[in-house]
Parts: sequence; structure tokens; C-alpha cells
Amino acid sequence: MAEARTPDAPSSVPLGDVLERITDGIFALDADWRIVYVNSRARELLDARNRNLIGELYLEAFPRARDATFEREYGAAMADQHPRTFVEHSQTVNRWFEVQVYPSPDGLSIYFRDVTERIEAERELAERAQQQDALIQFGRAALGRIATGRLMGDALELLLTYLDLPSAEIYLYDADARRYRLGEVAGLGDAVAPHDAPPLSDDAIAELVAGHFIVSEDVSKDARFTDRETLARLGIGAAYCVPVGTSDAPVAMLTLYGSREAIANASHRRFADGVATTLGEAIRAKVARQRNREILESINDAFVACDSDLRITYVNERMAQFWGMRAEDLIGMSLERFAQRSEDADVIASYRAAVEARKSSSFETFMPDRQRWFETRVYPFAGGVAGYVRDITRRKAAELQIRELNVDLERRVRERTHQLELANADLESFSYSDSHDLRAPLRAIDGFSQALEEDYKATLEGEGLRYLERVRSAARRMSDLIDALLDLARIARRPMSFVPVDVSKIARGVVEDLRRDDEARDVRVMVENGLHAFGEPSLVRACLDNLIGNAWKFTRGTPAPEVHVGSAGPGTFFVRDNGAGFDMTYANKLFGAFQRLHSPEEFEGTGVGLATVAKIVTRHGGVISGEGSVGRGATFTFTLPTEAPERQ
Amino acid sequence: MSRQYVLLIEDNDDDVELTKRAFARNHILNEIVVARDGAEASTLLFSDDRERPLPQFILLDLKLPKISGLELLEQIRSDPRTALIPTVILTSSKQDEDLLAGYRLGVNSYVRKPVDFNEFVEAVRQVGLYWLVLNQPAPVENA
Repeated sequence: MAEARTPDAPSSVPLGDVLERITDGIFALDADWRIVYVNSRARELLDARNRNLIGELYLEAFPRARDATFEREYGAAMADQHPRTFVEHSQTVNRWFEVQVYPSPDGLSIYFRDVTERIEAERELAERAQQQDALIQFGRAALGRIATGRLMGDALELLLTYLDLPSAEIYLYDADARRYRLGEVAGLGDAVAPHDAPPLSDDAIAELVAGHFIVSEDVSKDARFTDRETLARLGIGAAYCVPVGTSDAPVAMLTLYGSREAIANASHRRFADGVATTLGEAIRAKVARQRNREILESINDAFVACDSDLRITYVNERMAQFWGMRAEDLIGMSLERFAQRSEDADVIASYRAAVEARKSSSFETFMPDRQRWFETRVYPFAGGVAGYVRDITRRKAAELQIRELNVDLERRVRERTHQLELANADLESFSYSDSHDLRAPLRAIDGFSQALEEDYKATLEGEGLRYLERVRSAARRMSDLIDALLDLARIARRPMSFVPVDVSKIARGVVEDLRRDDEARDVRVMVENGLHAFGEPSLVRACLDNLIGNAWKFTRGTPAPEVHVGSAGPGTFFVRDNGAGFDMTYANKLFGAFQRLHSPEEFEGTGVGLATVAKIVTRHGGVISGEGSVGRGATFTFTLPTEAPERQ
Repeated sequence: MSRQYVLLIEDNDDDVELTKRAFARNHILNEIVVARDGAEASTLLFSDDRERPLPQFILLDLKLPKISGLELLEQIRSDPRTALIPTVILTSSKQDEDLLAGYRLGVNSYVRKPVDFNEFVEAVRQVGLYWLVLNQPAPVENA
């Protein structure tokens, strides 16, 4: 077939016309390499329109083909008589040709066409693909665990290698100082970037921070560049500055220096943009990872994260120590490796359960070889499982200690209770003797005062008799005080029973007694029906004795005395009167023993009554408060249980 | 010898004198023999060679040195010779415990000594009138 297309002889016309119209360049050589035919397209392609060429020796007509592929291929075709095709760059016209060579014993017919555009497109495509590969590779490396410094070095090396630039720099953005600081330089290095800050005007820097690119095809005339002389001295014509990160969160900037052509090349700039994007992502991820790591390292627990195959994806330093290995060696290892002992196997099983059933768990294990207790908490998360391990040996020891302490405490409480019981017995005999011993001298004072009065009335003057009366009155008061104090002490010690108490009934009983003892008084008393509580009846009675007794007493000077006993809610009771009242300024002294807000001349009393009431109420677990104002009565409100308290 | 007397068992001189005065004020003329403590009272009541007959009536203070009033009461009530002698506790104490113990041991009456001398005189008057005049003592069993 190829034979058929082969022209028998270049000289045979009318083929010539046809050949002239073919868009391929055609020429023919005889066996001595003399040009015997050239079509007009060939003259065009070889930039030889005005040359004769016919009869010239090929290698003399096109000296640049000597020692090149062209000479080699043509020679080979003549020698082996096989047609061949090749693509080669012609030094003569600086174009790419696809050449087909058809040999015959007489010479060669050569068809060629200009494939420069295709070749360049292919070459650019290949370059692009190569750059893409390099970028992907860089990206992969960037997302791994490499230091930021090395990451920047790699980025710059990539740029210089693939874009053939004399110099490039990376400046990192310091968000706190709101400025760029030199991160890494490559190529001419310090010569271009002698300072910490980029050689750019403030406006230009603001542009970059805002996320805008700067392309300068002639830095020597570009006011955005501050150190133009240095750049000119180094022969740098153009520059390209790329913001790294986003305008919300600038991370860095990248500057490429190079020839006008290199910088003008859109494909170069695209590559630089790609590097910048990758770099930005990597730095951002690194910062985020660093933050996560700081958090995970700062927690006291040992921490491990695994993927769903239980392969370790992260361990913090504490976990690495726990396993006695280096963190980087543990990454990628399977958790199953640690399941050699039975207690560990349980632990691993719980991790597996967390992955499979999305179930978190927590458990405590004792590791005999370490002689320590550990608490493990396992949580599933999307795509894996996380475990926290904490050494709880001290807590366990403390628990044990507490248990022992409790036992000891119980024993000590028992001992102490016994001692207290003994002390209480002492106390009781003490107050018993008090009551006896304190009263006897008083009786003597009173009795002999009276004896004096009776037997020596004649010799005592009026004043003397009055003094004796005062002595007797003081003795009687002292006796009352002792009685009241003993009552108070008895109430404090009295065993409590909690039974239903009809407060209304008790109050009425108190009122009846008061009326009987003091028939002269006409006090209007209202006792509400249905007042109920739980408590010790004798104490509730004593409480009401005092409160109603007080109301009775302090209404003595009131024209229309009234006393009201009622309820202010479940378990809350009050005794109200319209008597002398008291000054609220002294309300805090109401319930203290021997605290009196009235003089004994005004109203008699021991000053122990309300202290007794307060004691009774608090022994019932209640509270009491008093309210009043001078001349307008007083209200005492107290609470008592409404149900029997639970016995321990 | 056959004079009937009151045995006052009381360690406090003041109270002894006041009690005697109260008797006098009430014109109760019975002799009052005083025992200063439980031991002395015990000698008076239980010794075989006692000089006096048994008292007609015993007034007993509770808080006494050596042998307490309650102990003495127990002895009085457990000895057949003294078991039936009317015995009244006259004391400062109004403790429930003392009241209960006194009555459990068989005391005939429990009177608290009032501090007010007038009240004391009245108490002594009533006690004396009742136990020495109104009350019929148990007949003496052995001749």
C-alpha cells in the first residue's frame, strides 16, 4: 500500500501539479543527497521561498540538519530502503516537523508538516500533568506530619524546579501583629529578602491580606515594590505575589521572582496558585491539628483514636508512655496487638463493640503486672473509636481507705456515743444537784428574812422592812429562774416521740388554765379549729404554754385584749396578740435565754420562756420567728412536722 | 418515852431551823428529832440498842450525805419495824425521776419545799396537820 503512494519519480509530470497543491511540504533527494524537487509548501515551511535549492546538496542547503535526527534518519532510510516517520525539532526554522520518509534506489521522497502547535500543546500538557503530579505529591506530603519550615522549603523548591525561577519567598502572616514575617526563602535568598518583612508597600500588603494577587511584569517601575534597586541589581524583572489562606484568615504569602516571560506565563501562575492553596490548607490543618494535639496532650488521660478497623490513627504522649512505645511507631498499628492478656482482650472487645454497636462504655480494670487500677472509657465517633485511659490507682486506694475509715469511724462514733451517754448522765446528775443546792440557800434567805421581819419588827425601821422585802423578792425571782433553766435543760434532753398532736385542743387547754388562774382578766381568745401536727405532746404543750401565756401577759395593758391562735399554711402556726409588742430592732434577741425586752416592773418573767419555745420548735425540726411593733402586738410564727419523720 | 415525835432527816441547818420555825408557827408542838444524814437516821431507826421508840412520822430530804434519801427510804420500807411509819419526802427537787422513785419505794407523800417562806410554812402546816392529827397510823403490831 505504501508502495502505491510512493511516487515513481519526482520528475514525472503531471504529478507535479498535484504535489504543489498538497498542504504537506515535499522535497526529494537523489542518491547523492542532492535536492531534486521542492514544492512551494516546503519552501514556505523551510523559510526558503526565495532560494533555488534544486541541485543543491541537502546538508549544504540546510547545514543545521547535519548531525541531527534529519541526517541520521535520511541516511538510515537510504541504507535500509524502509520508509519511516519521525517528529523532530528543526533548528533551521525553530519549528517541529512530522516527517515521513519514502526511500527508493534513486533517492528519497520526504513529506513533512508543521506540528509545532501540537507538540507544544502536548508538551504543555505533559508539563501541566507533571506539575499536577508534583502538586499532588506536595499536597500529600504537606498533610502529613512535617514541620512548617520544611513544608515551606518543599513548596519553594517545587516552584523553582518546575517554573525555573531565580528566587521565591514565603512570608507567614502573624495575625496578632497583623503583618507578614519571613518564613522561608529559596534561590537568591537573602540577597532578595534581607528583611523580615516583604519588600512591598503597605497598600500592597493590605491587598494581599485582603486576598488579592499582585502581578508585576516590571518591578523596576512598580511603586508597590519598595526595594526596587536591589531587585534591579539582581536582574529580577517581574514578580508574582500570591495570598495564602483566605481573606478571613490569611495564613501566608508567596512571592515568585523571575523573568517577564516566566511571570507572564499563566500556566506558571496557575501552578504557583496551586502550591499556595496547598500550602495554605496544610498550614491551616497543621494549626488545627496542633491545637487538637495540644488539647489531647493536655488532658490528663491517655488518649487513643482508632479507625473502624481498630488501627491506631492517633495517640497522645501519655498513651504512648502507657504502652511503652513511641507515638509515631504506634500510628497504623492494630489495637489487637495489645490484646495478649485476658484483661486486655476485654478492653479490646469493648473497643470493637463501640465500633460495631456505636456503643460507648466505661470500666475499671486492675493490671496485675503494673499493680495499678485503670479506668477506660470508650466512645464511638464517625469512622472510628476513641479511648481514654486514666490511672485511678490513687482513687481506688482512697476508696479503700475511706471504707476502712468508715469502719473505724463507726467504731469511734460508738465509743464517742458511749462517752457522751456517760457525760449526759453526769450532766443530769449535775442539774439535779443544781436544783437542790441552788434552791436551799434561797429558801434560807427568804425564810430568815421573814423571821427577822416577824421577830424584830419593832426594832426595824420602815426602810429596813422594805429592804427585807426586796431581799425576799430577789430570792423568789432567783428561784423562778432556776426552775426555768432546769425546764429548759430538761426540754433539751427530753426523749422525743412523734405522734399526732391536736394543736387546737392543746391551745384551748392552755387558755382554760390561764382563765382559771386569772379570772379578773377578760381576754378575747380565738383558737382556730383543726390545727394538727406531729410531735411530742408535752413539749408542744410547753411551747403553747409559753406563747399563749406571753400573749396573755403582754395584753394586760391593752383595752380590748385579743389573742389569736391559728395556722398560716400546713404545719405553720401562729400566736398573735394585740398587746405591748416589741421593737423589731431587738428581734434577734427574742429567743436567747434571759433576754428580756421588757423590764420586770412592766412585765414579770424569767426571760427563758421564748428560749424554751425556740428549743422545742428546733427539736421538732421547725423554725420560729417573731414579728411585732411597740404597742401594736406581736405575732410568733412557728412550724411543726405534718408527718412523722422517718426513723433511721 | 412514849412521847410521839417527828423525825426530820435533813442535812441543811438552815432548812432544819426553818422547818422547826414553820412547825412552831403552826403551833405543832410535837418534838422534832433531827438526823443530819442518812447514816445517823439509820442508827436512830434500825439499831437494836436505840434509846428512843420509833417516830410517829418521818420527814425525809432526798439529797443527803453518805446514804441518800432514796436509799434510806428503801431501807425504811424494807424493814418490818419501820415499813409502816408514815414517811413524807420534803425536798427541793421536783425532778420527775425523784418523784417516781419516791413513790415506787412507797413514800406516803412528796412535798416540794417552796422557796417562799410563807408558802413553806403553809406546806408544813398542812403536812403536819394531816399526818400528825388527821391521819390514823397503822396499829403497832408487836406489843
